[in-house]
Amino acid sequence: MKMKTYKIYLSLFITTLLVSCSDDFVQEEPPFQVTSGSFFQSETDFNNALIGAYDLTQATYVNVILGEIASDNTHAGGESATDVVGWQQVDRMEHTPINDNIDDVWDFNFAGVQRAAFIIENQDNIDFDGKAQIIAEARFLRAYFNFELVKWFGPIPIKPEGQFQLGEELSIPRSPVEEVYAFIEDDLQLAIADLAPQAPQVGRASKAAAQALLGKVFLYQDKFDLSAQQLQVVIDSGQFHLFGTQAGEDFLNLFEFSAENGPESVFEVQYSGDQGAGFECLQCSEGNVAVGFSGVRGYNGPVYESGFGFNLPTQETVDAFADNDLRKELSILDIEAWAADTGATFTIGNQDPVTGHTGFYNKKYLPRENDNLPDANLTHPNNYRAIRYADVLLMAAEAYNRGGINDDLARQYLNQVRQRAGLQPVNSSGADLLNNIYNDRRLELMGEGHRFFDLVRTDRASQFIDGFEAPKNNVFPIPLEEIQFSQGNWEQNLGY
Amino acid sequence: MNKWIYLLLFSITTTIAFSQQTVSGTVVDDANLPIPGVNISIKGTTQGTVTNFDGEFTLNNVSLNDIIVFSYVSFETQEVKFTGQQTIDVQLKVSAEALEEVVVIGYGSSSKRKLTGSVSTIDSESIQDLDPLNAASALQGTTAGVNVTPNSGAPGAESNIRIRGISTNGNSAPLIIVDGFQYDGGLNSLNPQDIESITVLKDAQAAIYGSVGANGVVLIETKSGERNQKAVVTYNTYVGLQETSRELPLLNSNEYALLLNESYANAGLNQPFSNISAIENDTDWQDEVFETAEIISHNISVAGGSENTDYSMSASHLDQEGIVGADKSSFKRTTVKLSINTDVRDFLNLKANVFHTNNRSKGINSFGLGSVLFNAINMAPTISRDRDNLDGTIDLGNEVVNPLTQLANTFNDFESNRLSGSFQAELEYIDDFKLTARYGFNSSKLNNREFFPEFNFGTSKVFTRDENQVNLNQQDFYDYTFDLFHTIDKTIADEHDVTLTLGMTVFRTHGEGLFGSRTGVPNNSFDFADLGTATGAGDDQTNGSFVSEARRLSYFGRVEYAYKDRYLLSGILRRDTSSRFGPNNQTAWFPSVTTGWIISEEEFFDTGDWFNFAKLRASYGELGNDRIPDFLFLSLLSGEAEAVLGQDQNLTNGQALGPLSNPNIKWETSKKLDVGLDLRFFNSDLDVTIDYFSNEREDLLITNIPVSGIFGTSAPGSSAPTINAGTVENKGVEVALNYSKEVSKNFSFNVGYNISTIDNEVTEVNGTEFIEGGAFSVGQLPPSRMQEGEPIGFFYGLQTDGIFQTQAEVDAHPSQGSLGAEAQPGDLRFVDTNNDGVINEDDRTNIGDPIPDITMGFNLSFRYKNFDFSAYSFANLGQEIVRNFERDQPNVNVLRKRLDRWTGPGTSNTEPRVTAGANTNRIFSDYFVEDGDFLRIQTISVGYFFPESILKSIGASSLKLYAKVDNAFTFTEYSGFDPTASTGAPIGGGIDLGFYPVPRTYTLGLNVKF
Repeated sequence: MKMKTYKIYLSLFITTLLVSCSDDFVQEEPPFQVTSGSFFQSETDFNNALIGAYDLTQATYVNVILGEIASDNTHAGGESATDVVGWQQVDRMEHTPINDNIDDVWDFNFAGVQRAAFIIENQDNIDFDGKAQIIAEARFLRAYFNFELVKWFGPIPIKPEGQFQLGEELSIPRSPVEEVYAFIEDDLQLAIADLAPQAPQVGRASKAAAQALLGKVFLYQDKFDLSAQQLQVVIDSGQFHLFGTQAGEDFLNLFEFSAENGPESVFEVQYSGDQGAGFECLQCSEGNVAVGFSGVRGYNGPVYESGFGFNLPTQETVDAFADNDLRKELSILDIEAWAADTGATFTIGNQDPVTGHTGFYNKKYLPRENDNLPDANLTHPNNYRAIRYADVLLMAAEAYNRGGINDDLARQYLNQVRQRAGLQPVNSSGADLLNNIYNDRRLELMGEGHRFFDLVRTDRASQFIDGFEAPKNNVFPIPLEEIQFSQGNWEQNLGY
Repeated sequence: MNKWIYLLLFSITTTIAFSQQTVSGTVVDDANLPIPGVNISIKGTTQGTVTNFDGEFTLNNVSLNDIIVFSYVSFETQEVKFTGQQTIDVQLKVSAEALEEVVVIGYGSSSKRKLTGSVSTIDSESIQDLDPLNAASALQGTTAGVNVTPNSGAPGAESNIRIRGISTNGNSAPLIIVDGFQYDGGLNSLNPQDIESITVLKDAQAAIYGSVGANGVVLIETKSGERNQKAVVTYNTYVGLQETSRELPLLNSNEYALLLNESYANAGLNQPFSNISAIENDTDWQDEVFETAEIISHNISVAGGSENTDYSMSASHLDQEGIVGADKSSFKRTTVKLSINTDVRDFLNLKANVFHTNNRSKGINSFGLGSVLFNAINMAPTISRDRDNLDGTIDLGNEVVNPLTQLANTFNDFESNRLSGSFQAELEYIDDFKLTARYGFNSSKLNNREFFPEFNFGTSKVFTRDENQVNLNQQDFYDYTFDLFHTIDKTIADEHDVTLTLGMTVFRTHGEGLFGSRTGVPNNSFDFADLGTATGAGDDQTNGSFVSEARRLSYFGRVEYAYKDRYLLSGILRRDTSSRFGPNNQTAWFPSVTTGWIISEEEFFDTGDWFNFAKLRASYGELGNDRIPDFLFLSLLSGEAEAVLGQDQNLTNGQALGPLSNPNIKWETSKKLDVGLDLRFFNSDLDVTIDYFSNEREDLLITNIPVSGIFGTSAPGSSAPTINAGTVENKGVEVALNYSKEVSKNFSFNVGYNISTIDNEVTEVNGTEFIEGGAFSVGQLPPSRMQEGEPIGFFYGLQTDGIFQTQAEVDAHPSQGSLGAEAQPGDLRFVDTNNDGVINEDDRTNIGDPIPDITMGFNLSFRYKNFDFSAYSFANLGQEIVRNFERDQPNVNVLRKRLDRWTGPGTSNTEPRVTAGANTNRIFSDYFVEDGDFLRIQTISVGYFFPESILKSIGASSLKLYAKVDNAFTFTEYSGFDPTASTGAPIGGGIDLGFYPVPRTYTLGLNVKF
């Protein structure tokens, strides 16, 4: 009997001991992890978040290569007429709202907007010296991504106060283009006020970068006075000159590694081959994915590395260069001639007459020999010269001319660019000068992703691009899934 | 009460124990057939013996009035009083109800007779017959409603177990409980020969497992010793040869060159082979990569027991090579197991189990684009086997390389060490009141070493590396399950049987991992592939780590009540809190009710011997599924933030948000209904079980649910959130029949058949119209979807309607141009399903699904004299599979059926023309969706038991030699390697990228017992 009692007490004791284990047991914090609630508590946190926003500039490779393919400059290329089918469709002007590659443009650039907004919405958390510079850079980046989005898609959802929250796709409308531009201008004006004339580090935005971008944003809205004004500030800053015009510089090296972040660079997207990458996340690559995709297929030879053979300049493009134009040598690789000279070998992929092999490659952004990490096709370190001084001069020339402000200055800036290319200055003015500017703008910026948008903003796209229908093709279709996610809040662009 | 009897007997026996004698005899069954292995013991002592093969026994030192106990599984125990007889011959009766078989049901057990849930059991005999490499395969075909698909045929690959269909797009794997504790190791870390039984809880019976039981529960009991049994030593060994079960019919060199020339000519291009007779090579790449591979297994075990203690120990070793890559793809498993069970006092029982497993494996790239078999299929036969660098050969795109070179350059080593076990104490603190405390644990350490040598497979081949690299990965996991529960078992007034179980469970799992990689391995050799010896500096060295943590606290109660042994009612209630869910949803309750009526106990049920038993069951309950990653309700700064900054272009790390969080996340709830009938006929020789079930899974945890791009989920290291956003329903009928008969002393047999149907339908997807998944070819839209009104993971693509025979037909059909190219005669004609006059992506529709409508198993075994034979087979019907092992590239090799291509009007209405030009024939359509029905003869085995005379000469009690063929034959029309190919992914499964086929294995084995 005594034994029995003891057993009962023992069992009760054990039972109560464990039933006292309460629900606190599961109140667990994630081990060694930073949650958003405990972030933005130090200068380092702000700096780290800013790096996160710059990270997404690398994903804009997709804007560059697809922008170029969309224009009359290049064929899509690739392995076959269905390789990266979204690019092929854009090249054929057969793109629809179901296009993964256009979707990438939407997703990647909004990811950049969101990361910049994460900083901006937390700007009042703490105070420290240098905070204004960081917030200004975040604003510059948000404007940069939003400008890309408005160029591609027209009206887009905007949220000046911070990040989009789940559910807001149902309530935040696509703001009209004018409002989007006003928002971008606001961000840039605020950025210009606080940005240092010299960027704190190579690769970050300087005051001039924001001013040049603002000049470009004004030009896209035909606000010529304002545009010329901003661009003139950049020119007057004396920070930049055309590469190749001073001792020790060779214009033909402008797109080599040696000239990266050089005297012509106003804003440059930085890439590195020091980290591997894979196809499952192209936007995660630290390298310039567009470069590997532009490489010569099956290439074996000196100077270059092989690639996937996309973005192929057409014969018409090549013929647009005068024979004595140095920019032809700078921009175009004639693979047959090169192979004959050097013994290099290569293969031909897509042979479709509309999107296939042309014999020419986009030399500015071809993969150069380097020791990048695998997948080597995705990690080439070629920086993208997003805004270079030649572009600033040509935009200024255009603004001065089209705004009827000052043809002399316009001509002067144009001729600076022409002379560097080894060409005679022009003496034209008025509409002739504008044509000269347009023509040199195409040739100067060949292969850099600007042509399509230049044609659209100047209403010349249907003249040059087969199958282009205005106004439908002035913007790209909103990805179908986005229309679905918004459950009717966002309407499809006209004609798609 | 028994104690008094013992005491009484004891005093009697001691007082009159003056003469000790010997008795012998024979034990037979109803049919007068001898029963070997019957336990014979003298009650109240440790003395005992076992009958031999002929049912004979001799028992020494018996005293007058001793009670001799004869016991054997599924026979009624008989007691005979020793009154000085010289011989005692005993006829054992099959236990009045073999249904009294005990079935584990989680936190306790029940007799099969009184079971009110839908439960399937596989006993050690079936496991022994099948002798599987992985215990999971013992479930395939033997249990109704359970579908097992191997991840791959590669050595050491795990299997996916799905109970009653796929009901979530997340983790559909059932909960595995080994000897009472949660086991997350994967079944290939268990030695199948240690398993005594596998029980599958399919319905609301599993509600005792609350928030982790929704996918069903697999309960594994390992072998233990028997009381009063002298040590039995068992040694099993087998050697086997494995070969591929199939090679695909591909083109030889000549056919390849001719067809390629035609495809270029069709596109108006120069022909690649100008002189076909000059082609030197005709390489059969499949012959080159497939080999015959060995498999060897040893297993030794010892089990026995005294009056108060039983024990069992075992050790095993398995060594398997792969049929592709031989030792580059191998699996070695070594296991040690020890279990001991002792009654410390008559009221206190202790039980401990420890398992140790060491797995070592090497693997090859075996699933997906760029896998060895994918390359063997697509590689041109005109290329020599020795050609390592494909520069200068025909362009096969960047992914296809020489598979032999790929194998030669594959170096990795994976090792896992696992220690699992449990310690249990059971205290009977009042008669019929028991308290059980149990601590179960899993501790595992995984080490993975990979080396990628510098090697040139050819310019721009994705495998080409101009720098070598070593990757190291070490992970440690530890979890424990602590259970504490009372079991009260009372019979009141002879008519009311009540069992009450009341308790709690605490579960914690913790994991940590470290990763590193470095370039510059000396001599470009695996021998030096270590982070320490490699020389890469700066960004050529990387590292990373993770920590995971999850906890769960549960309280549960179960009442089982039987009235008059025929009216059965059981209710379960469990309350769970889990760290995986946010503060808003941390707690949930899971109730269930199961009922039964044993009709055959009623007086009106008097049907004689032909109809012996009938029970009607019904159950309903709610269960949960919490298998999602930890802390999804919090926003973590776990994203990737890297930018190139500074004059030296250095990679600089920052911080960014990781996956989008969902503060309102909670568990999935499964509502399970089951109505079943258990019947027995013909002296219980025929056993029939019929079930209807309906499972509705609500609040599906949809991981990575697509959301608008404006939330930035495409940023590096981010991903879409996990949201409770859907409902999936599975309904079906299961029928299982088993007939076993002992016809004569020399002949007995058993026939089993089961069939189950599954009707899977997604009934709700919130927030989005559909969820996409899977991948087909390169750069195409995801081929699989989850969408309301369709089965989960159905294939979404274009529907074909033959082939355009003439340009007139093309012109008469809506334009296919928006797919990428205008159609030409010889191209596939796609159906304008939405009748909008144009063929585009909007015309995609349901073109099949990978979920079998019907699964069946058929098993036959018989024993004739000293021979036994068994055959196990299973079939899946009504499933589709996507052929995705053909690279979308103009120059790769193709299946022979392409020889029957369209070459002009009337030549073919199924195989499109060949062309190197732009075409839309490669766009995902039903052309690539094949009938995946199959019937597989899984195991055929013949064994021979050596006769007593030989056994005596070697001192063994049993010796069996057997020959077995696994995966003997598969009847299917599927054109790929293996119709069981699946990643098991709920959305994106059933897409075959050159699946490593499950090998056919010829085995010769030996079982001996001493």
